Amino acid sequence: MNYTLQYGQVLPYLGYFAGGALLSLQIAFLSFCGGLVIGTGFASVTAFGPRPLRVLVKVYVTAFTNTPQLVQIYFLYFALPDAGILLSSYQAVLIGMTLNAGAYLTEIQRAGFLSRRQTEMEAAEVLGFSRWQQIRYVILPHIAKVLFPPLANQYILMTLGTSMAAVFGVEELTGRAFNVNAETFRSVEIFSLVAVFYVVITFAATLALALIGRLAFRARMRIL
Amino acid sequence: MMWDRLVEEAPRFFTYWNLRFFVEAALTTLALSVTGSVFGALVGFVLAVTRMTRGGVLLPVRILAIVVTEFFRRVPFLVTLMLVFFVSQMSGNEWPLFAIAAMSVFLIAAAYLAEIIRSGLLSVHHNQWDAAAAMNFSLGQTIFHVILPQAWRIILPPAFGFFVLFIKDTALASQIGVTELTFAGKVLNNRGFSATLSFGTVLLFYFLLSYPLSLIGARLEARLAATRNRQS
Repeated sequence: MNYTLQYGQVLPYLGYFAGGALLSLQIAFLSFCGGLVIGTGFASVTAFGPRPLRVLVKVYVTAFTNTPQLVQIYFLYFALPDAGILLSSYQAVLIGMTLNAGAYLTEIQRAGFLSRRQTEMEAAEVLGFSRWQQIRYVILPHIAKVLFPPLANQYILMTLGTSMAAVFGVEELTGRAFNVNAETFRSVEIFSLVAVFYVVITFAATLALALIGRLAFRARMRIL
Repeated sequence: MMWDRLVEEAPRFFTYWNLRFFVEAALTTLALSVTGSVFGALVGFVLAVTRMTRGGVLLPVRILAIVVTEFFRRVPFLVTLMLVFFVSQMSGNEWPLFAIAAMSVFLIAAAYLAEIIRSGLLSVHHNQWDAAAAMNFSLGQTIFHVILPQAWRIILPPAFGFFVLFIKDTALASQIGVTELTFAGKVLNNRGFSATLSFGTVLLFYFLLSYPLSLIGARLEARLAATRNRQS
């Protein structure tokens, strides 16, 4: 092993990497929000909807959770042009991640919706709560408390998942690592530095989410 | 129009040799995830138990276990893969590509399974730990005779779920050139077959690998949860 690590050559790119980290966070946030909309809608369908719709949602969830996100985006990016739909790499990544997140978030939220207890509803009725009050004071706080930790966990996993955008040439954190690697060839230094970037941004996200969960929903989350 | 082209192309695509190529690639995908997960489970167990130790002498080891677990849980698989790839080059002895990919799966599997195993160990009521301590059991005896027989039901379903996740994560190994399923799709696409057929088939093969396993996982979860409720 006669290789000397030269972090000095990589340090000038710190700002460039930080910009990439922001783009990673942006992709994760946008696709998580999109996935949350899909997930909430579809989870309500599985919990309360008619049977044909429930089957459709089930097919969507099964198809998307049993195939890799990378190949789903490959399909969107390379196969949709066959049908005349051209997506930019950023669009393909965003749509692919949103659809994938939608499937996982449907699964998670379905479990949350089912966790509402009949006795709690009956208790609320006995106390003379109106329908709206039942939703506002009994169902929502309960569901939010149960759902917050797994949703936060999924958000962290999705932040890590954004790195596959680099495969399609999106210049987020990992994409920028590949760019700098092509310029400087300081591969080990670059990728270890980028790894530390990911540790820092996901750890910051975990801390922030744990704090929000504790203050807003009284959800207890383990940090370490 | 697009449909006609696909129908026209299909006989040329679904030949014996192409399908055999896909099946062999699927076996590589499976081999990668199994190797990584088995060794990952062993090391993950060691990491989890390390974090259960007490006392000042072992503090550095405990901190090391926390750092290793947290690091590999918070680095994307693609970055871990590139790190292992370039570190193996740096060390001068270039490993085979399969070994690099399996090593990467092993690293993330160890980190994720360590967390799952630790949650399982922590889920056993503290009275059990106290009772074992009162009977002067060592840490090893406590874990193997008291905790694990109760904790494995809690550990197994999520661990199995992560194994199915690792199958899908190995798709990224195509980036360094391991001939697994995704790479097989890329090869056929580059050979001139349409992306719809190449990547569609890849998606189908992943589904065939993953779906039966996730069904087994769901049954496992239902059965183990049922026995746990009956006992308590």
